Amino acid sequence: MLDALGNWLATFGFIELMNAYDWLWPLCEMIHFIGMALLIGSVGLLDFRVLGFGKGLPIARLEALVPLGIAGFVANSVTGFMFVAGNATGGPQAYLTNLAFQIKVILMLLAGINAIAFYFTGISREMATLGPVDEAPKNAKIVAAASLVLWISVIMFGRLIMYNDTLLWFLGI
Amino acid sequence: MMELLEFVEGTGIATWVRESPSIFAYTLVLSLHAIGLSIVVGVSAMVALRVLGRFDGIPLQPMAKLYPLMYTGFWINAISGLMLLSANATGMLQMTMFYIKMGFVIAAVITLRVMRPKLVAGHAAKGLAMALLALWTGAVIAGRLTAYPYFVEAWLGI
Repeated sequence: MLDALGNWLATFGFIELMNAYDWLWPLCEMIHFIGMALLIGSVGLLDFRVLGFGKGLPIARLEALVPLGIAGFVANSVTGFMFVAGNATGGPQAYLTNLAFQIKVILMLLAGINAIAFYFTGISREMATLGPVDEAPKNAKIVAAASLVLWISVIMFGRLIMYNDTLLWFLGI
Repeated sequence: MMELLEFVEGTGIATWVRESPSIFAYTLVLSLHAIGLSIVVGVSAMVALRVLGRFDGIPLQPMAKLYPLMYTGFWINAISGLMLLSANATGMLQMTMFYIKMGFVIAAVITLRVMRPKLVAGHAAKGLAMALLALWTGAVIAGRLTAYPYFVEAWLGI
């Protein structure tokens, strides 16, 4: 199944594009890192405030930063897709079969589900009633802590993609 | 002969190459460097955008409370950066792009420091905020480019 998916991704022509323009991969890397910083700076900052850091900043107002985090996420999804579909050595399969990449994708899905929990279980609405120095309720803190742990782990496993052999060694696989 | 081979296998270097715990340490430090970057650059960007008048629903002065968080990100990267540098000192110190990156980082941190009292006083230092955004962007771009020395040499000749 991964083979079929890899072959399909290779049909997008990104490998040829990356080969034709040697600046494209480094450019995508720069965007990927800036997108990452935007995501942590906005969503991560909101998480830190919910956990009780930076009191004086109203939580409901900090939520205005979230669209910027979504913009970073979209930029990283696009550039991330280009890395996978444009990977010359080993093709897209090299990513799809890479354990660190697989873990990263699963962690991103979990972070997405966690974000949905924040907005669709009423926790976000509860935040609107809190004052600038108020402590957030416990359920909100659990969601915020999970968000931080998940996104930081996404960064870590993203960095480990290049060092998958070391990860496999560490896990004894 | 076998004794000699066993002796070689038992030396510190061989054990290190074979079991390479320090390589795993290296990848962890590399991860920390990306995490610290996200915190210091990401939160700096939010503070700078607020100073520039974006997201004006967020009160300006309390943004100064984010300095400990930004400095935590900075120190994570100062320490992890030194560790990464020691692992590849000759390679990095021969790269012009590395010095360009450090120039951006130092200028960004100075800008951040200068901005703090102004923020505490509730003054929107827009010039500093714009400089901060530009300097961090430069630092990230130059930092990423240190991973592509051949590309930098081909395109920029440095």
